[in-house]
Amino acid sequence: GPTPRPDVVPLPSGTHLLFAQSGKIEHVPLEGNNMMKSDAKALLHIPDKVIIGLAYDCVDKFVYWTDISGPSISRASISGGEPTTIVKTDLGSPEGIAIDYLGRNIFWTDSVLNKIEVSKLDGSNRRVLFDTDLENPRGIVADAAKGNLYWTDWNRVAPKIETSYLDGTNRRILVKDDLALPNGLTVDPYSSMLCWVDAGTKRMECMNPNQPGRRKIVEGIQYPFDVTSYGKNLYYTDWKRDAVVAVDRTISKENDSFQPHKRSRIYGITTAYSQCPQGQNYCAVN
Amino acid sequence: DSTAGTSSDCQPCPCPGGTSCAVVPKTKEVVCTNCPLGTTGKRCELCDDGYFGDPLGENGAPRQCKLCECNNNIDPNAVGNCDRLTGECLKCIYNTGGFYCDRCRDGFFGSALATTPELKCRACNCNPYGTVKGKTTCSGLTGQCECLPNVTERDCSACVPGFYNLLSGRGCEGCNCNAIGSTN
Repeated sequence: GPTPRPDVVPLPSGTHLLFAQSGKIEHVPLEGNNMMKSDAKALLHIPDKVIIGLAYDCVDKFVYWTDISGPSISRASISGGEPTTIVKTDLGSPEGIAIDYLGRNIFWTDSVLNKIEVSKLDGSNRRVLFDTDLENPRGIVADAAKGNLYWTDWNRVAPKIETSYLDGTNRRILVKDDLALPNGLTVDPYSSMLCWVDAGTKRMECMNPNQPGRRKIVEGIQYPFDVTSYGKNLYYTDWKRDAVVAVDRTISKENDSFQPHKRSRIYGITTAYSQCPQGQNYCAVN
Repeated sequence: DSTAGTSSDCQPCPCPGGTSCAVVPKTKEVVCTNCPLGTTGKRCELCDDGYFGDPLGENGAPRQCKLCECNNNIDPNAVGNCDRLTGECLKCIYNTGGFYCDRCRDGFFGSALATTPELKCRACNCNPYGTVKGKTTCSGLTGQCECLPNVTERDCSACVPGFYNLLSGRGCEGCNCNAIGSTN
């Protein structure tokens, strides 16, 4: 069916972008489709950690992150509060992290163990979802309302974007042609549009996962690592620009960028919605 | 605290090169906010991901943060390529291994330092029937697998002349042919 125009979905106020830069998580408030750059500040400072992936639980308002230096997976309330480590054993290099806010589960990719794992939000009930046909799994995202999981694998020989249901069934390759280094991906919770950034093809692309065809949003970008969506904008982090770049996906145009004072790589990025999108999935009632 | 009205209200940031710092409101802790390139940490005492060293000399003599040195056997798209303090390479590719990705990893042989990936490290592929205890590792340099008695070839895949039955898994057995009735 037709996708709703992203610029007419009413956006909850009090929403923020969260992104990871070395040992800190920064936040930038969003007002409509604008980054409130002058109000950007560090949310969490954990200088001895190397934070890669970020995910946000819109129910409890907690941020979750992966740390490759531990390695570990931790969380903290965004209204302040001490970080708590929830997973610290049997990890190699945890990179991407995703939350099914309805089923109350976290999912993560591990590029050393070559696995995708799942657990409850507190790290309990941990289980391996996939441990085959993974070479460099990185970005992962859950479409809670639709019950789908998506992830990237930047295996230079055979890069791909895969999908499965949130319980790990119905795994299949969604995209494999014309990819090089698909690093990050995101799903817009309102339109279910899947978008990704590729540091090899230097493109940002989007598709409706239920339909054939994909659309190039921008080309010739520098070195994208992760991406998140909010309203009509997509926000990606860039290793060469050391910046967060905003792209209007309706008109395929960069419209803003934010470069933190400290020059170093920016890794994961996620949208901290002030309220959860409506929806229910089968994992929530199990 | 610039509001207390004493001469010690504002103090210089304890950061390298006089770079900026901030005070964490809750803990009153001072944190450097603009560490020099490649460094991070509360006092810029750590190296960023992709770099290694010990800029403030917390573990011996100070060493500036340098890019990971892994003999071109790491992928620039990977994260966590080397240990931030020691420089130990953690994500060697092309089947290489060792502290600096300078050797072939177990089960592979060749030259980890060769210029093209195809020339680097190849699988030992030892023949399981001809190899001692079914070992899968070989000499990292020559690729010679450890052969059972009377078994030959790099991968222990053949019997030496005058012997047969490689598939016994115990080494090859003598043919015991009568010298008079045999052609050679």
